[in-house]
Amino acid sequence: MRPLRPLLATFILLTLTSCAPGVGKSPSPDELRAVTLLLGYQPDVQFAPFYVAQQEGHFADAGLEVEIRHEPAPDVQRLVADGQAEFGVADATDVMIARTAGIPIRYVSTLYQSFPVALIGDAADVPTDPSDLAGLTIGTPGMFGSSWHALLALLEAGGLTAADVTIREYPQFNQVDGLSNGDVELITGFRNNEPLRYEARGNEAGLLTVDDVAPLPGPGMIVGEELLAGDPDLVRAFVQAVAAAQAEVIADPDIGFAAAEEAVSTIAEDPDVARAVLDATVELWEGDGFANGAIDLELWEAGYATMQRLGFIDGSVPMDEMVAPDVVGS
Amino acid sequence: MRRIGAAIVSLAAFLAAWKVATVVGGYPEFILPAPEVVAERAWRAIGSGLLWEHTAVTLLEVVLGFIVGATTAVLTGIALGKSVLVERVLSPYIVAAQAIPILALAPLLDIWFGGGLLARVVICALIVFFPIAIATMVGIRSTDPLLDELLRSLGARDGQRTRLLEIPSALPVLFGGLRVGVTLAVIGAVVAEWAGASVGLGVLINIANQGLFDTPLMFVALVTLALIGLAFYGLVVLVERRLVSR
Repeated sequence: MRPLRPLLATFILLTLTSCAPGVGKSPSPDELRAVTLLLGYQPDVQFAPFYVAQQEGHFADAGLEVEIRHEPAPDVQRLVADGQAEFGVADATDVMIARTAGIPIRYVSTLYQSFPVALIGDAADVPTDPSDLAGLTIGTPGMFGSSWHALLALLEAGGLTAADVTIREYPQFNQVDGLSNGDVELITGFRNNEPLRYEARGNEAGLLTVDDVAPLPGPGMIVGEELLAGDPDLVRAFVQAVAAAQAEVIADPDIGFAAAEEAVSTIAEDPDVARAVLDATVELWEGDGFANGAIDLELWEAGYATMQRLGFIDGSVPMDEMVAPDVVGS
Repeated sequence: MRRIGAAIVSLAAFLAAWKVATVVGGYPEFILPAPEVVAERAWRAIGSGLLWEHTAVTLLEVVLGFIVGATTAVLTGIALGKSVLVERVLSPYIVAAQAIPILALAPLLDIWFGGGLLARVVICALIVFFPIAIATMVGIRSTDPLLDELLRSLGARDGQRTRLLEIPSALPVLFGGLRVGVTLAVIGAVVAEWAGASVGLGVLINIANQGLFDTPLMFVALVTLALIGLAFYGLVVLVERRLVSR
């Protein structure tokens, strides 16, 4: 029996200490609720708010211990819907399609006030009027995702369809290579990524943005229907922690960059580009004014109508079953 | 009849296991659709013409990629098998090319070859090449030296020995390589489509998975690819039975 005594004493000590009331601002690690956050593809400076929230204690202050994992974008929605992860980041347009396809998720807060996708090309070649896109060759990753939605929305705004342009697909997201090589005249890309890569090759990039022509809601946080219904306070605590960290990075991007440098080893390879990406990303987060994650319902209604006209959704699932604006307020 | 019966029983067991997995695991349709859900989605995809539109393109890529890859591989394999010098010179490059992940190289190949069918056939042929080339080389080297000596003593020229003795001797091993190669051709076509294509079963997988969030449709494309692989494998086995005496 003797060997059990130290174990018993340790157990009693641990039990007593875990029952003691907290004296500090943050809950002790034992009290934190473990949750999983799914981000797209790979660690990147664009995820700086999450790194700040983790490193600066925003998540801990909200009573959360957050494990960050990276998954391909479509898997994020499925895993969150299935409860294998509590939170994820997804494109709003994908949320509309996934929700219509019966995947039980909700968009609960906005991360990007501006839609990040644009048509990119040499500054002299990018039309300002979408109707001038007719006859051009355009590179895009594929007939899926926010790039495809944005392209069709732009074409529609110009009275065109995909049949009026030549599409070349770059499923490995190497469309900048095609543009630099002269294989295509324009590409779809993220305003905080592809233009910088194109200009790094000695070109001057021009952009035709979606926001000015065919507004669509940008990426945001998603949760499963079940979690939202069962524990709305947890969801609220999480998105508020993210919004606080995001506001911190917008106010001082140096904080976000330092946190990203700690979390993303590849930034050391080319810190100047990473910093430029972060600065461009901050602009997209802010849009017309950062709103702490609030959902712009008018923008969602316009985007929903556009996606329905383009045939991506059939309207069988109403918009108010896709978003949960009351989590952070709209 | 016994063989067909066994195949039907095996298929029924597979479908039953699949169904049990969906029920016991409690998986929602968007994670693991049940077989009847996939069958219903396949019926709709066939009816709308969607499945054939993509399957026809992939079939063409598989056939052309396999023909180009296998022909090049057999010719290279014969050269490797007959000449130690050729083997010493070429082998490091062939092995190195095989060691490079084709997924990383495919987007570059797509750009180098201007996209389109040519690029996809090249990518497919590259994947097919290695197992067939190595099988051919091993087969050529497995020629009975006594028979080779006999032909030499009868005054047969090098080309005659290759045609009459070495290639027939290599056939059993060569067909082993062709069996592997033809299934790899299906994978090669999908990899090529993932590097850049607007149509094909690989594209349909991407659209279903990333664009439509339609998991049953993705399974339809996967099952179709599996059936294509099985069909071509069976075709190779049939040809092998005709050409290789047992």
